[in-house]
Amino acid sequence: MNLIVCLDDKNGMMFNKRRQSQDRLLRERVLALVPGKLYMSAYSAKQFGENEKIIVCEDYASVAGENDFCFAEDKEISLENVNQIIIYRWNRHYPADKRFAFDLPARGFTKVSSEDFIGNSHPKITEEIYKR
Amino acid sequence: MAYRRKKKNTAKKVVTTIIALLIALLGAYFIVPEVIPEAPATNIDISNIPAYSGDAYVAINNNVPYFEESDYTTEAYENYSELDSLGRCGVVTACLGKETMPAEDEERGSINNVTPSGWVQKRYDANLVSGGWLYNRCHLIGWQLSAENDNERNLITGTRYFNAGNSEEQGMLLFENMVADYIKETENHVLYRVTPVYEGNNLVASGILMEAYSVEDSGEGICFNVYFYNVQPGITIDYATGESELAK
Repeated sequence: MNLIVCLDDKNGMMFNKRRQSQDRLLRERVLALVPGKLYMSAYSAKQFGENEKIIVCEDYASVAGENDFCFAEDKEISLENVNQIIIYRWNRHYPADKRFAFDLPARGFTKVSSEDFIGNSHPKITEEIYKR
Repeated sequence: MAYRRKKKNTAKKVVTTIIALLIALLGAYFIVPEVIPEAPATNIDISNIPAYSGDAYVAINNNVPYFEESDYTTEAYENYSELDSLGRCGVVTACLGKETMPAEDEERGSINNVTPSGWVQKRYDANLVSGGWLYNRCHLIGWQLSAENDNERNLITGTRYFNAGNSEEQGMLLFENMVADYIKETENHVLYRVTPVYEGNNLVASGILMEAYSVEDSGEGICFNVYFYNVQPGITIDYATGESELAK
């Protein structure tokens, strides 16, 4: 499974059950990156709108196949069946009470690429890809 | 005749009493506020806020702001309270939108000309206070949200930690970042209220209550109610005056 998350400078994801930030161009990039199915919760699907790749599922981690992608925000994250992680960094510091608290090298992940791009409302978003 | 004289005397007494009452009322209206400082209006009782225990802020009312439905509007505005007789800022309220934010090419100016109440600046070891100086002139509504630069009704004396946090902790700035980026992305509006909380006649606020609620999506994007402690770890502050010293 391929996992996609958005993180701030301190690996924060959400505050008070709400995403820290969002960006229209980031969503377009995610949809362009995913060749097949993109699983996500109903909360996440609301920001993406309708798209044939998107499958709304609250328990996506146990449903998604090896080559499928999961966009994770509000649900608990497990790296058990994950073989690739795509991290979008806002390059901003926001408040957080939910974090992506994984030591990726210790879990066997290696960063294979990093690329900056300009978002709609964020001057620099960094896309990092980690593979196991 | 005697009756008429008595009636005239009674009328005279009534008029004199009314004039005396009017003078007393006018005197009270014009004089009393100069003598007894009025505490800035707040909607928070400081005795209900847990004492600082290492976190820069604490969620209040389960992070639900105290706005009422009648407050909801998508028309941008900013309202800054007049300084009270001690020169202290009061509540600031706003409906923030792209309209209130600085233009893309707008540069922030100096705010050094403003001296907020309790401004007794002091330098400490930079390992204790980021940058060394204890106090910042803290915008109640941040410049990135309001484009308000040196508005004295929007600037209070706050510690460096309170304003911007440090490498580990989180200050007001992070919440302002979140609101600013939400508005830039969605072009929605955010109801925003910042209430400085003073104990008695203290010149330095103990903290501030920051409330925010995104209007167009009914709080789905932004919704928080947070109290920030105006403290600096390792420093003891006399909130009555603004004087400070190393914690013993």
